Amino acid sequence: MIKKFIIKKELNLELRNNTSLFLITPTMCVLIIVFPILSENRFRVENDMFVIVQLLFLIIFTTLFSIRNPLEEQTLIKELNFGSIKKIDYFYSKTISELGIFYPQIIFLLILFSGFTNTSINNSIIYIIFSVLFFCLNAIMVNLFFQMFTSFSSRFVQFILIVPIYIGFAILIAPMWLGVNQEISNIYSLMLLGITMIIYSFTNFYLRKSQ
Amino acid sequence: MSLFFKSNNLSLGYGNQLVINNLDLSLKISNNYEIIGKNGSGKTTLLMCISNNFIGNTFNSNIERGEYSFMEIGSSPSLIPKLSLIENIKYFLYKESIDEKLIVETLNKYQLNEFKEDLIEDYSSGMIKRSELTIADLKKPDILCIDEPKVYLDENGIQLLFDLLNYRETQKMTSILSSQESINALSNIERTIDLND
Repeated sequence: MIKKFIIKKELNLELRNNTSLFLITPTMCVLIIVFPILSENRFRVENDMFVIVQLLFLIIFTTLFSIRNPLEEQTLIKELNFGSIKKIDYFYSKTISELGIFYPQIIFLLILFSGFTNTSINNSIIYIIFSVLFFCLNAIMVNLFFQMFTSFSSRFVQFILIVPIYIGFAILIAPMWLGVNQEISNIYSLMLLGITMIIYSFTNFYLRKSQ
Repeated sequence: MSLFFKSNNLSLGYGNQLVINNLDLSLKISNNYEIIGKNGSGKTTLLMCISNNFIGNTFNSNIERGEYSFMEIGSSPSLIPKLSLIENIKYFLYKESIDEKLIVETLNKYQLNEFKEDLIEDYSSGMIKRSELTIADLKKPDILCIDEPKVYLDENGIQLLFDLLNYRETQKMTSILSSQESINALSNIERTIDLND
């Protein structure tokens, strides 16, 4: 299902695509740096506000990342047929490559955000890493599903449809970041795992149906 | 001889607009076919449908396909513009795991070896078509569909295309050509689908 040659090609394309690594991340970094000054005129923001705004940054960054390079259905089908590549192989390989590109960047941004606002998430690092990992995986799979199985080719429509879903994912990780006890954090982690499995099953069903 | 495409009531279109209406089509493997017709008659649509690249309305047509490898060289390129030719070859021919020496030989044959490290987005239309022919030559799909075969190719390119089609004929591989009128590239044509009728 996961093909190395597709991952290699996607990573190569990402390096040559100047709308991702070279534009979105620096833009977000600048926003992060100026945010505390704009909001409270100092380099420290209140803790309550911090988590909410960090989630907002997470949603904005994920949305920008998702709409950076939309797949065109006709072009994609031609490419897959030209190389006799199965849709299911492409989907999972692309998911892995997107995760490889997106996950380190989002972790980097969260570190920057904490650093520049002198605040931190109220939970252990393990919970933060896992919550972000599940968030990324879900966001990538939903985005790819929308791009491969629907005809919404415009970035605007993609944006309108995807943002509410990302807000839903962010709401699920919000309590973990706000600092609930370990038992509740475990329950939320399991919920995130369950949602990831539901999305995986849903996309898998469509991918196998479309073979 | 087995069929690779069959439909008794093939209707194709975009939205509610009908392009191909109730066409009866049974295409057998190892035979060659030609699709001819004037502009807007549905040649490209039909070719895309045969090669499984069609996105549009099939009006619930009953389509049966065989388990064969298809390749379409269409009016718009299938290669990835941000990759070099050699990267494209390695990507599209990954499953075939073709010998490096054969790749170089074929690139030399199509006069592309010295440009293999250049990005496809920097290629001319003729060079892109040659590149696609190179991949088709290396991949050897069971069914090769070419839309407007001569377009963008110079005299030498056309000769290389004819050589490829002749080679495929000798190897009993199917080729389907679509153009406004017959280009006489294939010696044995099982059926000419005339969309002017």
